[in-house]
Amino acid sequence: MRVRRWKLVLPLGVVAIAATALVSTSLAAPEAREVRVAIMTDCKGAFGANYENDIGGAQAAFAQYAGGKPKSKQKPSAGMTGIKVGGTSVKIVGYGCGDDTAPTAIKETRRLMEGLKADVMVGPLSGDEAVAIANYAKGKPTKTFIIGTAASQDPTMQIAPKNVFRYHGDGAQWNAGLGEIVYKRLGWRNAAIIMDDYSFAWTSAAGIIADFCGIGGKITKRVFPPLNTTDYASYVQQLPKPDQIDGYFWVVGGTGTGVSLKAMEQANGKIDPKQLAGNLFLIDGAAGKEVAPLYPGAYVGGFGSAPGLKTAQVKRYEAVMKKWYPTQAKAAASGFVYNYYNAAWALVLGLQKSAGVVGAKLQASMPRTLASGYQVSNKGLVKLDSRRQAIQDQFQLQIGKGGVPSIVGFVPNVDQTFGGVFGPNKPAPGRAFPPCTKRKLPWQGKIRVVKNGVVTNQVIK
Amino acid sequence: MAERIRAWGVVGTVPRVAAAGLVGFALLYIVVIAEPPPEIGGNWRTTSSGSAIDDWQSFAITLLNGLTFAGWLFIVASGFSLIFGLMRVVNMAHGSFYLLGGYIAYEIQQSMTGQGFSLQSSEVTTWEWVYPALVACSVVGVVGLIVQQVFLRWNMGQELRQALITIAISVIIADQIIGHFPRHVPEGTVKFGGNAVGMAWPGWANIRIELPLTGIDYSLARLIVLFLGVMVGVLLWLWLHRTRTGMVIRAGVDDRQMTSALGVSIQSVFAIAFVVGSALAAFGGVVGASQGNVASGQDGQWLLYSLVVVIIGGMGSLLGAAAGSLLYGLVFSFAASYLPTTGNECCTNYAIVFTFVLLALVLAFRPQGLFGRIG
Amino acid sequence: MSRLDAKTTVERVIGVVLLLVAALGPQLFNDYWLDVILTQALLLGIAAASLIFLSAYGGMVSLAQTALMGIAGYMLGNMVTQSGPGGESKGLVLGWDPTLALVLAIVITSVIGLIFGALASRSFGIYFLMLTLTYAVIANLFFGSVTQFGGFSPIAGVNEYTPSFVGDIATDRDRLYYIALAVSAVVYVLIRYMTRTPFGIAFAGIRDEPVRMASLGYAVPLHRMLAFGFAAFIASLAGILYVWWNGQIAPQDMGLGPTIDLLIIAVIGGLGRIEGAWIGAFAFIVINNYVVNWVPTGGLPVVGGRFNTIIGLVFLTIVIVSPDGLTGLWDRIWDRARRRGGPPQVEVETREAAMGTSSS
Repeated sequence: MRVRRWKLVLPLGVVAIAATALVSTSLAAPEAREVRVAIMTDCKGAFGANYENDIGGAQAAFAQYAGGKPKSKQKPSAGMTGIKVGGTSVKIVGYGCGDDTAPTAIKETRRLMEGLKADVMVGPLSGDEAVAIANYAKGKPTKTFIIGTAASQDPTMQIAPKNVFRYHGDGAQWNAGLGEIVYKRLGWRNAAIIMDDYSFAWTSAAGIIADFCGIGGKITKRVFPPLNTTDYASYVQQLPKPDQIDGYFWVVGGTGTGVSLKAMEQANGKIDPKQLAGNLFLIDGAAGKEVAPLYPGAYVGGFGSAPGLKTAQVKRYEAVMKKWYPTQAKAAASGFVYNYYNAAWALVLGLQKSAGVVGAKLQASMPRTLASGYQVSNKGLVKLDSRRQAIQDQFQLQIGKGGVPSIVGFVPNVDQTFGGVFGPNKPAPGRAFPPCTKRKLPWQGKIRVVKNGVVTNQVIK
Repeated sequence: MAERIRAWGVVGTVPRVAAAGLVGFALLYIVVIAEPPPEIGGNWRTTSSGSAIDDWQSFAITLLNGLTFAGWLFIVASGFSLIFGLMRVVNMAHGSFYLLGGYIAYEIQQSMTGQGFSLQSSEVTTWEWVYPALVACSVVGVVGLIVQQVFLRWNMGQELRQALITIAISVIIADQIIGHFPRHVPEGTVKFGGNAVGMAWPGWANIRIELPLTGIDYSLARLIVLFLGVMVGVLLWLWLHRTRTGMVIRAGVDDRQMTSALGVSIQSVFAIAFVVGSALAAFGGVVGASQGNVASGQDGQWLLYSLVVVIIGGMGSLLGAAAGSLLYGLVFSFAASYLPTTGNECCTNYAIVFTFVLLALVLAFRPQGLFGRIG
Repeated sequence: MSRLDAKTTVERVIGVVLLLVAALGPQLFNDYWLDVILTQALLLGIAAASLIFLSAYGGMVSLAQTALMGIAGYMLGNMVTQSGPGGESKGLVLGWDPTLALVLAIVITSVIGLIFGALASRSFGIYFLMLTLTYAVIANLFFGSVTQFGGFSPIAGVNEYTPSFVGDIATDRDRLYYIALAVSAVVYVLIRYMTRTPFGIAFAGIRDEPVRMASLGYAVPLHRMLAFGFAAFIASLAGILYVWWNGQIAPQDMGLGPTIDLLIIAVIGGLGRIEGAWIGAFAFIVINNYVVNWVPTGGLPVVGGRFNTIIGLVFLTIVIVSPDGLTGLWDRIWDRARRRGGPPQVEVETREAAMGTSSS
């Protein structure tokens, strides 16, 4: 063998150096006693625009209640230092960058919880992400997960691991009362519903259907276009014509809100806003800004918050937001800011009680009530149920001139089961579940009129 | 062994009969078998609107929806097919060009009208639609030209390498679109990359007209899409068959070496074809943005549509692209409307299966596609 | 003595060293590295190996391998998960025996691979690539829209139900790592063996001279179909490992992005050699994990855009500079050294077939 020695040595040397480098980096882990927190949100995909809002909401709570110092008041993602609860310092180890899909959420969660060794996660942002992370949480009982703002039912219903907490409503809860409002205010009796064919829309629609059918309305047709359909013509064609029906519930989101409504107008002419109701897709984000101005007068479901509500508690919350992050404070009433804020605040309270110990002790110490901003009933306290899910007031909205929504209905103490429609032993909301049946919901007949941001004693008739 | 070759080379009678039976049944189902839905539930015969005999208006509308969607498909896929036919380049960035065209046209329409995000058709003049479309097509045409000259000119014939290069370019363009578009966003919202934005048709187009004899009101905008598709087809045909450049292109499709040996500058013809192909993708994007919207992620969808159309129709054939668009558009439209609705759990969500069935049926009998040539 | 032998020796030494390092994985690397980087690299390497097998020995560049992985994952997910409290809600939730489900998932995926292969068996070169891409996107849309199989949302908790001989891999991640390592080794040996069988040799012959092989009496489409089925079998193993590793399966796992990622992995590794699969997977995942951290949220300087622009540029550079990837680069370095060193011109395995110099 006339092998030149270096040809053998060089690759081996490279391998050896690489291996040493890997081992040395992997063994060098910083170990001071501190609580490591990760904030999981989306920076891509349909909700990516809320990246700074989510982080701003969470960090405002850390700043207000745990002495955190924002590195930049305009850009929350620049970071935060000096968070201390009791004698324990809290470090934000990283921000997760999801894209509204479960695979990316899991990938980012691994990076944050295993790679960056976070003890607690505040997040994630969307329904499928929360389902994925709740399942992940089952295998990591020492880590604690406080959902940022996600609407799927499963994480605190069918899956419900002991280390997952949610201090806001799910997508069905957000729409509680909407059906009753259109039944009473607009006299809808027969309605059709069009929804994206996936879990968030099913959950959102489930709240509408349970409520509308509960008071006595009928859903005569359900249409399910696949998410982000290119051409909605074939689907809107399956809806009954406007003269055959009292109204349409529109639960099409993603990139489809505007497109599906365009297709509807191409097929049936301009829609009367009195014949249109929907969930937050009609008003939220950029898609909402495009659609909402076209339908003044239409009723829409809320986001667990109450834009324009005038109470002392709301003022306090909005002042806190304004103090720490003036830019994000403009969106204080958006569930993206508000729900992340509550999640982080609950974490601070939990850490105070557990004296900075994480794991099972923190999970036992997480607060059972929270005086969150837009809560009115129950002395302004959001309560957690036995599956660590919030029982929370809901506010239903009406689109005003220029597309600005205002609150019209106050629905007190909405729980996740809708008084027994949903449950851990029942199927998760789906195409056919819940069926359309008349039943007594806890808030039926108790929805109160909200005028100019003040909850009145008058009941909606 | 010889028998086996025969068995594999020639498809026997049984599959032919089975395929014909399948297609026949589907047609029969739509025309006669289907029934209107009952109040609740349903069975294998119940569809949203019943058969063509029960409700011929719904049938006609579904047909029109399919035809108009086919026009849209054709605009995009003809460009893909043109590039492939002449250069054997599978332009995986075709979907990205679609998206880029849509976003550019959106930005220009926004700055022309100055009306802001929630733009209504009634506020848009014809010129405010045509001008953005022209600019978008030109810009994307130039982008296509650059891609072809820089990345594809020197490796002609290395088909896979070229496909990989265009994949890399599509990844970069998709990310750059997220990085830079949309630039016009509504007040009070965060500027965010790749968000869905829509254009508006000119006011006169966004109405519904009554079709003669039928009493059906149908969207003029959708008919315009069909018209634009037909126009693109006619113009391409005239170009390819009635002009000198077109003849060179067709000669190039038939025999590249021979054509260049005859002293024709095949390289400039390649460049022209690439510009036209890319511009067609962009034009499709403009139509898409007006019909619905453009959003990051749609590039993959439109790459798929283009692929399906040219695989069905045959690569590099204009007629094939038309036939492929028509078949796919109709299958797309009828599958969504005429699958049984047995309660709410089934079956409209199986529409996607029919795309595969269509593909399988065509490929089983003509691996080269309906109008493709072997080799 | 030919230098080719020296090269083989060096490669073997490197191989043994890497295998040793891999065997000692849990001692050498931290949990995150082991679980997220190495296990993932091993299982994506298996999938990439199925792609490289088809391309190197059959000239068939398939973009359907990710979809086949996903199909296997979906089959397993639908069959093993259970309904009820503490269980799962998406998909068929059949709650079957995990061993049975495991076998069925692999068999069904292989059969689907055979059907795909039969339809594509008479398409060559770039047509084959386009057709398999179509399969991939259709499979993605199918699982995204057919709600009975899970729909758009993920089927989660799949790795809580494993056969007893696999054990608890949801929490014991070292165990999963060793399983992935063992399967990788078996797949590597299996593919190497396959290419030496009469079938494998005929398959390679078809790659180079399909017409001549047909006239010699070989059933060309049948060989290509069977090879595709074999590759689907390998991909199904990767798919099973993927759901065990990831815990869940969603349509986005088989979308255009992951499909192209797998192709990028194979191209980085080199479409000409099986070893390239794992090398490419490792390189890709390391880039993926570490580059993302230093891309500013506001986008890259000058050009804007984020992480994918970098990936795209890296990919573009590789395709332009070294279309046969890292293993090709390695081969060429030796090739050059040999030419410099002197006469014996031993034919190096041809890589052109893989890159399809011209197959029209």
